[in-house]
Amino acid sequence: MNLSKIPSQDDIYIVDDSLWDQLQELTEGDVSSCYQCGVCTAVCPWGLFGGESLSVRALIRSAQIGIQDQNENLWLCTTCGQCNAYCPRGVDVAKIIRALRLLAWDAHTVQAGLPSLLWSIYWNNNPWSQPPSQRENWIGSQHVPLFDPDHHEILLYIGCTSSYDRRAQKIALALVEIFHESAVKYGYLGENEPCCGESALSVGHLPYFHEIVLNNTKLFRDRGVRDVVTVSPHCYDVFKNHYPAVDGWIKPIHYTEYVEKLISDGRLSFSTTIGKRVTYQDPCYLGRHNKVYDAPRTVINAIPGIELIEMTEVGIDGLCCGGGGGRMWLETKAGERFSDSRVQQALETNADTLITACPFCVVCLEDSLKSIPECEMQVLDVAELVVKAL
Amino acid sequence: MGELHIVVCVKIVPKPEEIRVDPETRLLNREGVRSEINPPDMNALEMALKLKDEFGARLDILSMGPPSFEPHLRAALAMGCDHIYLLSDHAFAGADTLATTYTLAKGIEKISGVDIVFLGEESSDGATGQVPPGLAEWLNISQLTLITDVNVDLNQWVVQGRREIKGGYEILEVPIPCAISVKTAANEPRFMDFSRKDWAFDKGSITIWNASDLCVEKEYIGLPGSPTIVSDLAEASVRERKNIFIKGDADEIARQLANIIQSVI
Amino acid sequence: MVKSIYGVEEESKIILVYIEHTKGKIENVSLEMLSKGRELADQTGWELKGLVVGYDVDSLATAVLENGADGVILANHWLLENFTVDAYSHVVYSILLDLKPSIFLLGATANGRDLAGRLAVRLRTGLNADCTDLNINLDTGVLVCEVSGFGSGILAMIEAPIHRPQMATVRPGVFSIQENRLARSGEVYAYKVELNKDQIQTRIIEQIIAEEVDLTSVPVLVAGGRGVSGNFEALYRLAELLGGEVGATRPPVDDGYIERERQIGQTGVVCSPQLAICCGISGAFHFVVGIEKADIVISINSDPDAPIFEFSDYCVVGNVDSVLPALEEVLLANKEVVYG
Repeated sequence: MNLSKIPSQDDIYIVDDSLWDQLQELTEGDVSSCYQCGVCTAVCPWGLFGGESLSVRALIRSAQIGIQDQNENLWLCTTCGQCNAYCPRGVDVAKIIRALRLLAWDAHTVQAGLPSLLWSIYWNNNPWSQPPSQRENWIGSQHVPLFDPDHHEILLYIGCTSSYDRRAQKIALALVEIFHESAVKYGYLGENEPCCGESALSVGHLPYFHEIVLNNTKLFRDRGVRDVVTVSPHCYDVFKNHYPAVDGWIKPIHYTEYVEKLISDGRLSFSTTIGKRVTYQDPCYLGRHNKVYDAPRTVINAIPGIELIEMTEVGIDGLCCGGGGGRMWLETKAGERFSDSRVQQALETNADTLITACPFCVVCLEDSLKSIPECEMQVLDVAELVVKAL
Repeated sequence: MGELHIVVCVKIVPKPEEIRVDPETRLLNREGVRSEINPPDMNALEMALKLKDEFGARLDILSMGPPSFEPHLRAALAMGCDHIYLLSDHAFAGADTLATTYTLAKGIEKISGVDIVFLGEESSDGATGQVPPGLAEWLNISQLTLITDVNVDLNQWVVQGRREIKGGYEILEVPIPCAISVKTAANEPRFMDFSRKDWAFDKGSITIWNASDLCVEKEYIGLPGSPTIVSDLAEASVRERKNIFIKGDADEIARQLANIIQSVI
Repeated sequence: MVKSIYGVEEESKIILVYIEHTKGKIENVSLEMLSKGRELADQTGWELKGLVVGYDVDSLATAVLENGADGVILANHWLLENFTVDAYSHVVYSILLDLKPSIFLLGATANGRDLAGRLAVRLRTGLNADCTDLNINLDTGVLVCEVSGFGSGILAMIEAPIHRPQMATVRPGVFSIQENRLARSGEVYAYKVELNKDQIQTRIIEQIIAEEVDLTSVPVLVAGGRGVSGNFEALYRLAELLGGEVGATRPPVDDGYIERERQIGQTGVVCSPQLAICCGISGAFHFVVGIEKADIVISINSDPDAPIFEFSDYCVVGNVDSVLPALEEVLLANKEVVYG
C-alpha cells in the first residue's frame, strides 16, 4: 500500500453496512461462517480455465466488508456446489451467491438477458421464450394421460427444458416409453404444467421465485398431486429443497430413483443386451446437491451387456457441465466451457457412450462433443439407454 | 417547469401464435387465447423508465380496451410506473388506426399536461406502425419514430433521439411536447420491481374512462370512426417445401447443388 | 361516420405513387410500386402519376416516366432537401388536396410509414400498412389491400369503400420492377411549394448513412448463422459468384461479425429472392419469416434435426466449411466451361 499516493475516485469504495445485514438475513447467518480460507476458490472449476477465475472467497469477502461487488464474475457461478462439498465450515456458498445476485436485482446491475428470462417465465410459463400453447408439442403421436389423482400413482413432471428443447424432448419421450412398458399409472399436467421456477431461483430473484412457489403449491394441492417424478434434477432439487415441506405432502423423486425402484419391484425388465462401454456424468443437482449417486448407476448396471467405467473425476469431484446457475441462458465464451473439459475426461475412459441424467448436461456435453472432429462418442440420458434395452 | 410528465401507450395483445380464424364465419377466434403486453411496448416502457430514473418524472400508462386488460397493465405499473388510465367502452370497439389514434389522443388530452408520449414501434397483432404518427397528428405535436436512444434537454425543452434508418442512423431533435415510438428490441425491459408489485396489483391506481368521460365525437370512435373494413380473413398457409436431402461426399453434394442452382438462376 | 377531407365523389381517377429517393437514386420500393401501379392503371384505365418531393429533384422525372408513370409531380424546395415529417406532410397534404387522387401509395419504409401515418389522420382517411398485394375491384373502383398480421399468421383483405385517398404503404420487395420502358411522354408538373422554416419543428443534428445494402430485392441470398462461426468470407465469395448478397441471422450480427443491415428475419429484412442458401442456420421461426417467400431454399447444417430443413427445398446435412468451398470450385469450373 502506497501511503503517499492520494487516492483517486476509482480507489474509493463506498462501504454499505446494511449490505452485511441483508446478507446475514438472506443466508440465515451462513455468510458469517466463512473465515476466508479460500478452499472454495481452489476447488472452483473456473480455476481450470485460466484467465480470471471466479474468486468465491473474494466475492464473499467484499460482501462481508459491505462492498457490493458489481463484478460480472458473480454471474459466472454455475452453483455446481464443488465449493460447498469442500468448505470446512459447511457454508452453503450457492446460497450466498444467490443472495448477492438478489442484491444485484435490487441495484439493477444484473447481467443482460436475465430480465428477459424472468419475463419469459411470467408471460410464457417457461424460461425459453417459447409459446405456452406449444408446451405439449413434445408428445407428438404418443399418448400421455392427463393427471388424475384418483387413478394415477405419480405425477410425471416434464419440466420446461424437456418440453421445448428438441434434444431434451427425446428424454421425456424415452421416459414415457419406460412407463408404458412398466404399466406405471402416471399422469401429466399438460399445457398447464407450471414452470418450477428453478431458473428464477438460480439467478437470484428470490421474491419472484417465492411467488412461483406459492402459485405452484396451490396448483399442486388443488390437483391432488403427491408423488412427483421429475425429468430434470433441477426441478427435483427445487421441489425437494425449496418448496415448503407442508406436511411433506409433495414427495419429489428423480426419475432415475423411480426407475431403480421399477426394476427392483420387478415391474421393469430388459430383453435386449446392449454391448456398450459407457461412462457416467453425475449431474450436479442430482449428485453433489442431493447425494443421488447410486440410483442412476444401479439402473445402468442392471442393463445386460453394459460395462460402466467411471471417470477419474467422479462423484463429489465430478466436473459440472456448465449449465447450472442460470448459465444455460447466458453465453459462455468458447474455450471457457466446462463441458469441453468434461468430455475430454469422458473420452479418456475409452467409453463409446457418455450417460447422464440431466437435460442441461445432455445439451452441453453433446454440444462439446460436436466440436471435436471425427468423435464418435454419443451422449444419452439414462432413460434413453434403458429404452434401448427394453 | 415542474416534473416531466410522460405517458406510455400500452396495448394488450393476444399471443400471435394462438390466434385462429374461424373458417366459416371468417372472424378471428380469440377464445381462450392468452394475452400479453405488446412486446415493443415493453421497450417503450423501459425507455420511459430510464428517463424517469434520470430526470425524475411522473410516468403514466394509457391503454384502450376491456377491463380484462387490467392485470397485464398492472404488471407494467410494477415496473415503475405511477398510474394507469384505461379507456374502456363498447363504443370504442372495432376501431381501425384512425379511430384508435383519435381515442388515445382524447385520453392524452384528458390526462393533460403530458410532455412526452412513448409508444412501441408497432403492435404484434396489426403491425401497422401507424399509431405513433397518427396520434402525434391528432395532438398536433412533433414525432420521433424508430428511436433506439433518447435524451431530454430540460433547458432547451427538447428531446433528442437516435433513429435507425436503412443503412445508418440519424440524431434528430424535436420540441416538447412530442410523441416517440421506440424501435422493437431497442433495449431489455426491466423486470417488475417486487417492492412495488404488491401495491401495483392491489391498491395500484387505475382510472377507467368511458366515451362520455372523454368528450369524444361519436362519429370518430369505434366502427363509425374507421374508414377501413376487413373484407376477408384467412390463416396464412405455410408454404410447402420439397425437403429433399442431398447425400454424398462434399464433391458429390457440390455437384448436385450446382445443378440445382444453375436451374434456378 | 367520420368523413375524409375529400370523398369518393370528388376523386380523380389517379393512382399516385410517392417516389422515395436518397442521394439522387430512387428507392427500389418506389420503382416496384410504379410497376404495380402501371398494371392497375392499365386494368382500370386510370392514370398513374409519381410524386417526387425534395430539393433539386428534376432529374428524377425521367426515371419515373420510364418506369411506367403517365405523369410526374415535382415538389422542389431547399427546405425539403432532407426528409422531415413536418415539411413533407405539409407539402404532400396540399398536393393531395389539389390533385385528389383516388389512390395514394407509399413504400413501407421508415419515412414512408411516418409520412403516411400523419397524412392519413390529416385527411381523415383509411391507411393500410405494409401491404403484400394490391388489387382494384373493377366494379366498385375500390382498392383491396392484402396485409398480414399476428406475426404473419393471418392474412387479411382490407378496403376503404368511401374514404379518399385510399392510402397504402407497400412492403419493399413484394412487387417486381418491370423492365425499363422507353421514355414515355408524360407531363412533368412543377408544383409551387410554399414552405418556411417556422413550419419545420424537427432539427436534424446528425445523419450517418453508410454504404447501402438493400437486401429486400436481392435475387440470390446467401445467409449465415451461428454455424459459420463469424467467418463470412466463403459466403461473400459465393454471393458474388451468383450475383447475390450476403445476409445473416441475429447471433452473428449481435456478436459484431456482420452489419445489422444484413440481418434477415422478423426484426430484420424480409426478402423474396429466387434462391436462398442458408449456411449454419438452425431455422428459428423469426429468421424463416425473412426468407419464406424465396422461390427455392437450400440449407446446409451439420445438425440433422435442425428445424431449417423443414423450411427448405434442398437439405444438406454437413459442414459449411467443407460444402461451400467444394461448391465454389464446381461453380467456378462450370463458369469457365460456359465462358472459356
